[in-house]
Amino acid sequence: MQIDIELLGPLVDYLPVSAKGEITIATKDNATIADVLKILKIKQKVIVAVNGDEEKGLDHVLFDGDKLLVFTLVSGG
Amino acid sequence: MPFGYTGKVLHVNLTKSEITVEEPEEQFYRTYMGGSAMGMHYVLKETPAGVDPLSPDNVLALCTGVVTGTPISGQSRITSVAKSPLTGCIGDAQGGGFFPAEMKFSGFDAVIIKGKSPKPVYLWMHHGEAELRDAGHLWGMTTGDTEDKLKEELQDKRIEVLQIGPAGENLVRFAALISMSNRANGRTGMGAVMGSKNLKAVVVRGKQKPTIADPAKFKELQKLGKTNLEPTGMDGFGKYGTPGVTTPQNKAGGLPTFNFNSGAFDKHEDIDGIKLFNEHLRGHEKDDQNRFGRDTCFSCSIKCKRVTEIAEGPYKTDAKYGGPEYETLATFGSYCGIGDMDAIIYANALCNMYGMDTISCGATIAWAMECWENGKITAEDTGGIEMTYGNAEAMVKMTELIAKREGFGKILAEGSKKAAEIIGRGTEDYLITSKGQEAPAHMPQVKRSLSVIYATNPFGADHESSEHDPSYKAFPERMKQIGLTNPQEKLALNEEMMRFAMVTQHLSSAVDSISVCAFIFGASFQLYGADKLVEVINAVTGWDTDIAEILEVGERRLNMLRVFNSREGIGRELDTLPKKMFKRPLEGGKSDGYVLDEKEWETALEDYYRLCDWNVETGHPSLNKLESLGLGWVVAESEALSRVIS
Repeated sequence: MQIDIELLGPLVDYLPVSAKGEITIATKDNATIADVLKILKIKQKVIVAVNGDEEKGLDHVLFDGDKLLVFTLVSGG
Repeated sequence: MPFGYTGKVLHVNLTKSEITVEEPEEQFYRTYMGGSAMGMHYVLKETPAGVDPLSPDNVLALCTGVVTGTPISGQSRITSVAKSPLTGCIGDAQGGGFFPAEMKFSGFDAVIIKGKSPKPVYLWMHHGEAELRDAGHLWGMTTGDTEDKLKEELQDKRIEVLQIGPAGENLVRFAALISMSNRANGRTGMGAVMGSKNLKAVVVRGKQKPTIADPAKFKELQKLGKTNLEPTGMDGFGKYGTPGVTTPQNKAGGLPTFNFNSGAFDKHEDIDGIKLFNEHLRGHEKDDQNRFGRDTCFSCSIKCKRVTEIAEGPYKTDAKYGGPEYETLATFGSYCGIGDMDAIIYANALCNMYGMDTISCGATIAWAMECWENGKITAEDTGGIEMTYGNAEAMVKMTELIAKREGFGKILAEGSKKAAEIIGRGTEDYLITSKGQEAPAHMPQVKRSLSVIYATNPFGADHESSEHDPSYKAFPERMKQIGLTNPQEKLALNEEMMRFAMVTQHLSSAVDSISVCAFIFGASFQLYGADKLVEVINAVTGWDTDIAEILEVGERRLNMLRVFNSREGIGRELDTLPKKMFKRPLEGGKSDGYVLDEKEWETALEDYYRLCDWNVETGHPSLNKLESLGLGWVVAESEALSRVIS
C-alpha cells in the first residue's frame, strides 16, 4: 500500500532537498507508524497526525492512501 | 570557596557612586539558586511599594545561577528583574550568550543596581573588582558601536558587554538589554529601567572559573548531552533554530497572523526557518551556513542562534546583529501580514542595534496596522506612513521611529496598551496584551492552557513560563517525572490542564531561577529532562537536591513575582486576556472558527487559583502559601501587603 508523508520543520532533512519534505512510500499491508518511521530512518521523538486528525501512537495501523504529517514539538522561541 | 557560585553579590548605588560586596550564606543560594528568584529577593527587600519604574528607587537585579559558567550546554543565562515600565507590574527578562558566564568569571554571581547616576556611566566588573566609569562618550551610540569602542578602550577583545542602545536611553517602554549586539534580555522594558539610571552598560571580564564538586559525574552529564542530541531532535533544532517551528505552527493553525485574527499565514513559507537557513544565513552561497551562519552561547553545543547578513540595498544588515528568532519572524512577519524576509532581518537588526524587544515592537506595529485597517488611525496620526497590513517599508520605518521616539514612533514607544489609551477611538479593541505586555507568537485559542498562563503571569503574556499543551501527551516519560500522568484531549481547558499549566510553570520558573536555557533543560522536548537538571545542580554544587525541591524553588519565585504585584495593589482584575480572544473567532487554516469561551475560561482561571493556593476573589497568594515557601517575611515587612493577604 502507499502512504503519503509530509515532514515539517527540521525533519525535511530526512529527505532529499528536492522532495521539499514530501514523499509517497510503499509499505507492507497493515504497516504501523513505527514501520514508516523506520523506513524513513527517523529515530528522534516525533508527532504524527494521520489524515488531518489527532496525533496517533507508534503502533497505529495505517491504511492505503493515508496521509501522515510528521513534526517535532518545540515550544517557545 | 563554594562550588558552582562565587559567593559574591555586587551592590551598586548609582546616586552615591557606592559599590559594596555582599557574601550571602550557602542557604541563601540553596533557597533561591540564582536568576529570577535571587533577583526578586533584592527587589522585594529594597524597592519601595508604588515606585515609579523609571525613578532612581526602582531596583534592577542582574543575576546568574549556581551552574552558570560551567562547561555544559544551556547554562550561560542571566535574568534581569525590576518593576516594569511597560506594564507597571513586576518585570522579568532572561538572556543568554557569553556575558552570563563571563560575569561569573569576573568574580560575581549577581549585581544589584539602584539609584541614578548624575551622568552616563558604565560598570566595569573585572577580576573580583568593580568600578564605575564615565560613559558620556558612549551615550547615543548603537550597541555595535558601543561594544567596539569599549573593546578598544579597555584593550581587551574578550570583554563581554550587557548594554542599552539608544532605545533604552530614550526610555522606550519595551527597550531591551543587549549583549554581543544580538542577544537580548528582551521583555518588559528592562532596557528603559537601565536607561533611567544613566547606566549605559555593564562590562565584565575575568578568569575565575567555577569549581565543580563532582567532576566525574559532571563529565558523564556532558556526554549525555551529546548522546541525547539525535533522539531529542535537538541537532535539527540547532541547525534551523527556533525559526524551524514556523511552518509546523502554521499547519497547526497556531501562527498568529494579522494581529492574532488568524492562525494561518498564506506567506508562511517566505518567513520559515528552512528558507532562512537555505537562502539567508551567512555562508549560504557556499552551502557553509553551519560554519558561518550559526552562533552559540558559552559552552553550548546546540548552536541555535542565527547569523544573517545583507550586503547591499535598503535592508543592508551587518552580521554582528545576528538573525531573527521564530518570535521575531512572526511579530514582524505574520502578525503584520509581511512575507518579506529581508525586511524582517533588517527590523530584527534595528531592534538589536537600538536595543528593543522584537516581540513587543513587532506586535505594537501589528496593532497599529489593524487600527489603520479599521480606520481608527490615519495618515494624520502616522505622519503619512500607510500602516496597511503587508507594508514592509512602513514596518521598518516605524521600528526606527519607535527607537528614536520620533513622529508616530513616540506614541508607539509607549507600548500598544498605553498608545491605545493615548489615541482612544476604540483602538483598545485591537490590543493583544495581557497586563500591558504584547502576546508572543503562541496562540491561547489553540494551546488553551496558555490562555490562563498569559493572563495570570505576573509579568504579562509569556510563552516561556510553562510547557505548551501538546507536550503533555507527547512526552509522557518526562511529564511523569514531575507528577503529570493524565494527559487530556486537544483543546481541553479543565482542572487537569490547569494542573499541567501550574506544575510545568513551576519547573519553568525554576529554570529561570537556576538561570539555565529553556531549550536545554525542561519538562518535555529539551536536551535534558527535569531529572538531569537536578543531577547537573548536584554535580556542580555538591548538594543533594531533588525534583521536589527544584519545583519548590520555581513555586517560590512565581509567588515572589506575584506578591510584588499584590504589594502594588494588582490582583485578579489584571488577570485578563485580550477581548478579541473571546469575541472574534479565528479565520482560516486549521484553527478556523476557534474562539475561547468566557465562562469555561473563568472556571479554569479559578481552578488555577485554587491549585496555586491563591485567593479566588483577589488573586493574591495566601499567607499560608507564602509562609510554606519561606516568604512570610515579605508580608511582615509590608504594611500594604498585611492589609490584603491573609
